[in-house]
Amino acid sequence: MARAPSANFNTREEVDFVVVGSGAAGGIMAKELATFGYSVVVLEQGPHLQAPDFKHDEWGYEHNNDLVWSTRHGNRQTFRRNENEEAVLEERVLGYAHNVGGSSVHYSGNFWRFRPIDFIEASMRGTIAGTNFADWPITYEDLEPYYSKVDWEIGVSGLQGPWDPPRSRDYPCPPMPIKGSDVLLERAAKQLGLTPYPAPVAILSQPHNGRPGCIHCGFCNGYGCEVNAKSSSMVTMIPLALATGNCELRIMSTVSQLNTSDAGRVTEVVYFDESGTEQAQRTKAVVLCANGAETPRTLLMSANSMFPDGLANSSGFVGQNLMFNGYSSVVGLFDEPVNGWKSVPTTRVVHDFYEFDESLGFYGGGGIDGRHPSQGTPMEFALDAPNLFGTPSWGAEFKDNLAYQFSHCAAFDGHSTSLPLATNNVTLDPNYQDDFGRPAIRCTYMDHPDDLATMEWFMDKSIELMEAVGATNISASYPAEGQNGNVHLLGTCRMGNDPVTSVINSDHRAHDVPNLFMCDGSSLVTGGRGQPTMTIMALAFRAADRINQLAKNNSI
Amino acid sequence: MPVILAACREAQRASLVGEDFLILSEEEAKEFDAIAARIIPTTATPGARQAGVIYFIDQVLGDRREEQLALLREGLGELQAETSVRFDAAYFYLLEEAQQDEILASIDTTSFFSTIRYLSVAGMFALPEYGGNRDFVGYQVIGYENQGAWTAPYGFYDADFVERGE
Repeated sequence: MARAPSANFNTREEVDFVVVGSGAAGGIMAKELATFGYSVVVLEQGPHLQAPDFKHDEWGYEHNNDLVWSTRHGNRQTFRRNENEEAVLEERVLGYAHNVGGSSVHYSGNFWRFRPIDFIEASMRGTIAGTNFADWPITYEDLEPYYSKVDWEIGVSGLQGPWDPPRSRDYPCPPMPIKGSDVLLERAAKQLGLTPYPAPVAILSQPHNGRPGCIHCGFCNGYGCEVNAKSSSMVTMIPLALATGNCELRIMSTVSQLNTSDAGRVTEVVYFDESGTEQAQRTKAVVLCANGAETPRTLLMSANSMFPDGLANSSGFVGQNLMFNGYSSVVGLFDEPVNGWKSVPTTRVVHDFYEFDESLGFYGGGGIDGRHPSQGTPMEFALDAPNLFGTPSWGAEFKDNLAYQFSHCAAFDGHSTSLPLATNNVTLDPNYQDDFGRPAIRCTYMDHPDDLATMEWFMDKSIELMEAVGATNISASYPAEGQNGNVHLLGTCRMGNDPVTSVINSDHRAHDVPNLFMCDGSSLVTGGRGQPTMTIMALAFRAADRINQLAKNNSI
Repeated sequence: MPVILAACREAQRASLVGEDFLILSEEEAKEFDAIAARIIPTTATPGARQAGVIYFIDQVLGDRREEQLALLREGLGELQAETSVRFDAAYFYLLEEAQQDEILASIDTTSFFSTIRYLSVAGMFALPEYGGNRDFVGYQVIGYENQGAWTAPYGFYDADFVERGE
């Protein structure tokens, strides 16, 4: 298929920037830096899948993990609950896509902005003993122009809600048409005196920037969009980056380490190309946008005599403070057809509980949105339905219940806070390697008691909402024993003013390495309320501006 | 059982021949096909047999699922032993449906059963390129309309919401 003309650089010639990863942050970083006029090589570990490649392939995407890195595809991951356990090899622990555009291709595009409180919560509320809960070195006001840039350049549909932080520009697209599952949520919420409002999504409700509006096919969360209505960095940023003529996108390129000079600067990025041959791209500077798992992994794999604990890790915080966001789900049946399996995952959100009252006795906050359980897809639903509704799991009764349950159900899902803890982290597994011979990612994770209490609180609130709107066969769940993995990978190279308790500064520059920058989920100081990608993208636009300023001043 | 139904069942069994399968033996295919047909039986809508679920099971077990295949083979041996003890028959697929259901009900909390159930249900709804869900008949079972694009309203409540001007 036609591709924009792109630059072509020699690995032995120094380029201005190597951007590792082409996802939510990497795609924006590549487009911005190339547009500023810098020479940019993007190293992406996956293929360049585009709209015609995407299918409603439940088995391939959800069960073969064809869009995500997993043990099945040679990228082994291990998990343990705490550091005293031996980590166990799992099919998938930390979920992220391996393709151009990264997880922005398969996300559900819930684009809640963080609010002013998210950036200053530790000082407003007080630190929490035993955690690394801290303020950000930037504020909502610093980031607001970039949130609006995301709205317009990436493409977000929504309507300013009663609780939303101030915005400098309206949404470019109106909200999605409300779904039946969200009519039920809205009616329930109003009965409880709450204020539901349209959920902002990075999916176009109408044509924008040359892309079409959503066709409401229903295969969204976990799937690539076959009409380019979902606002991934793959469809919004990568074509612009390549069109500058300053950017070369190298797909199927898996980074193994960054090499440094005697002066402690990064000189080249070592990677395996598609044939498995080791290559090294010389560069003046590096921006790691590889996600909250791969960015710390790359730094840890780059340990050398000058940086024995991993590159940029004098704080010891590389890989630490991993945050997932909490969740809960409550499912019920209704008398009339809901048909929540059509259209986007969610169209309404309840944000009245963004910050808990301190009288509750634990830290937390979040939101509730309406969904179809099991992502609204037939196979997932048929596998889950007996558990959800307490009905037979096989035989004629199982089968004959399915159609009614599939069309008459709705879920009210909670999305909530996670506290940063040193004990939750990404490290290199000592026993397993991936197919390239790189140490496998080892995840250690147990939710803080306040995070669990928050999830349970949102579950109970969703039960109340379900009952208020007349649901039957209500079932409720949250990961009470702790989460075993997630797709939100946050906080593992966090931003801060103090080099002792953070990895990068507010310019996204590593405290320890002047020509190394990190920008992705790893940069987050706190995890927000469950929908981080909008903030990751806003940070990427801002970081590109900061990096440009430093480069123009010859300060890199 | 009416003669014609019995004849249909014989024809179904006879149609499963070993060379059609990538990894399963003819005997295994007949046994897993019979189990899948009780997990998702033919009722007013098509069942596992009409969807060709056994071909899905064969295809995906041959695709880097050695552990599941081993688990299923071991469990099948135990199922056949139970078939022999309870009904003095060599093969599960030769039993009457009520007999098959009785045996499955006695093992439906085992990992063997949960695995074959998982694959049977998945094979009902996976894209036909994986061998099952032939002609998308699986979608009929769950009322999923495979038209790929929709316009609002999608269901009763959102239509009602608009009509009431909420």
